[in-house]
Amino acid sequence: MTKTNNNSIPDKSNIQGMILRGFTHPYSCHLIFQFNDKPGAKNFIKSIFPYIQSAESWGDAKPDIMLNIGLTYSGIKATSDLSETYLEYFPNSFIEGPTSAGSQGSLNDWGVSDPSGWAFGNDTDEQHVDCIVHTYAMTDETRALIVSIVSDAAKANGLTEFLPIDNGTKRLEEYALMPRNFIHFAYLDGIDQPDLTWNDPADPNDTGDLRNFLIGYPLSDSGPGPTGDNPAGDFAKDGCYNAFRMLYQDVKVFDEFLIANAPKAPKEIQQTPEYAQEWIAAKLNGRWRNGSPLELSPNAPDVATSHATDFGYKGDTTGMKCPFAAHTRVGNPRDEVLNSSEPSPVPRLIRRGMAYGAPPTLKSYDGERGLIGLFLCGSIATQFELLYSWMNTTNFASTFTSQQGQDGLIANRDTPGADRSFNIPTADGSITIDSLPHFVITRGTAYCLLPSISTLKSIAG
Amino acid sequence: MANPLTLYVPIKQDAVSQAAAQLAYQNFVKSVTSGLDESGIVHYARVALIPNASGQGTYAILLITTFDGPMNPYLGFFWKNPGTQQAFAGIAAIALTPPNPPVKDLTGFENFINKNNLSKSASPGKPGDLYEAYTKTVKEITSTAKELVLPKQSV
Repeated sequence: MTKTNNNSIPDKSNIQGMILRGFTHPYSCHLIFQFNDKPGAKNFIKSIFPYIQSAESWGDAKPDIMLNIGLTYSGIKATSDLSETYLEYFPNSFIEGPTSAGSQGSLNDWGVSDPSGWAFGNDTDEQHVDCIVHTYAMTDETRALIVSIVSDAAKANGLTEFLPIDNGTKRLEEYALMPRNFIHFAYLDGIDQPDLTWNDPADPNDTGDLRNFLIGYPLSDSGPGPTGDNPAGDFAKDGCYNAFRMLYQDVKVFDEFLIANAPKAPKEIQQTPEYAQEWIAAKLNGRWRNGSPLELSPNAPDVATSHATDFGYKGDTTGMKCPFAAHTRVGNPRDEVLNSSEPSPVPRLIRRGMAYGAPPTLKSYDGERGLIGLFLCGSIATQFELLYSWMNTTNFASTFTSQQGQDGLIANRDTPGADRSFNIPTADGSITIDSLPHFVITRGTAYCLLPSISTLKSIAG
Repeated sequence: MANPLTLYVPIKQDAVSQAAAQLAYQNFVKSVTSGLDESGIVHYARVALIPNASGQGTYAILLITTFDGPMNPYLGFFWKNPGTQQAFAGIAAIALTPPNPPVKDLTGFENFINKNNLSKSASPGKPGDLYEAYTKTVKEITSTAKELVLPKQSV
């Protein structure tokens, strides 16, 4: 194994593809498993190993089918030869998992999102996850092919599969007919990803530096971990964590919320009920549904700004353009002055998610739909959980008048002590929405390591 | 929402470790004040030395804090602050059971704190063990206190 050197350029052929690039295959299915025994687990990895896609360029030959593999801590324990001593070198947040008290201090899956109701990933013997296989395909036929390759290998090796949709009858599949990067609340998503770079020399102030995400090239003694030249560091090198979340989106509640609150918009916005609803939707998110940021296009969506990422919030200290608790302002506060306990610069996540489930029809909201969230990071605690905690309690900057406020879209409204109100500053005074409802409900979570290709090969034997 | 940390670390019985424990106790407030002030999230922090059953020497160090919000995302702040890093690393250095992994980086620090934390923060489906008389954050309390003091200064 290669020794740790944070200036040696990582080998793309050793890194799983989704870490460095967002796959654009129209079909994806995310198969969630629990291992039965070590030989079966290893043989399963061996069976599907030929289909793993690395981060190397595929040039003009875009693979028709391919996959990436994630292992939870229990999955690593079940498949690796790491001793107990070195298994403990993984960070506590990864070891304990998303239902631990430590992680739930940030995730706050209270009430309707309580882990006891999850389709996978709570800490019971029956529900714990060992492995997630992310499959991608160009056509519906090849999607069925790669899924059957994986599920057949799973059956042959005694794995238990979780089927999270429709009371345990269906797999978690991307809804292929959804316009690319749109989520069920009809916002354009995935606009602002960290610009992954490899600075030489390393730049601690560049949150897009790959060293913040890829294990084995630490910028400082803050990780990512496990660090150092030891079996755990070698096992994890060139890997990256994936906080995998299945998030139900209640489109009916969201649409009804917009209709009910649109009349609160200022008079000049009340040109049509639809425009007023769009205005409320934009204030909750910080971007119009087409992607235009409120900071650049405060009055109406604009095609010219729909993918804009070059802006900040320093010029909007009153929240007059973009409310402080708008989702995109919380998730990435950019140049906002943060409390002294918060990290600087603001940490980022690589998001590789997609929508699942069909959108509602004109006649019915029935059906399961939401976001398959793949949040990639080098540190679950200081990147993913930190940003999630900001969403559940927006107390990270002095701009917030309430220290118990919440993100407009994502937060868990049952978080104890949470202030569910949402303020929209306007020239005529602040519009206050008294109580935000649950727009999003957690259906399952698993913290995975996306190991290097060489590590997966060593497991496969 | 406030959360507790109750760090309970049995320590070595040799003379050097025992003396280090006494020193850590005596210097605790001095070494952590700057870092805790800057964090703006810690309500109270105190340290106590648990005596051996014989009454001679120290069996364990007990460090108790109450802070706003989750713990793990903010351990990086306390690891980067020289005073708080020194205080925690000093305790880890005399721990009866050597920390695994060693407390040499943030991962080692995160694991040491979590493994030795007796408190269970309230989380979904699990009861907490912290009584709260109020729900204000440190930031809210200190800003209110400043507002109360300002008129007196202007007189």
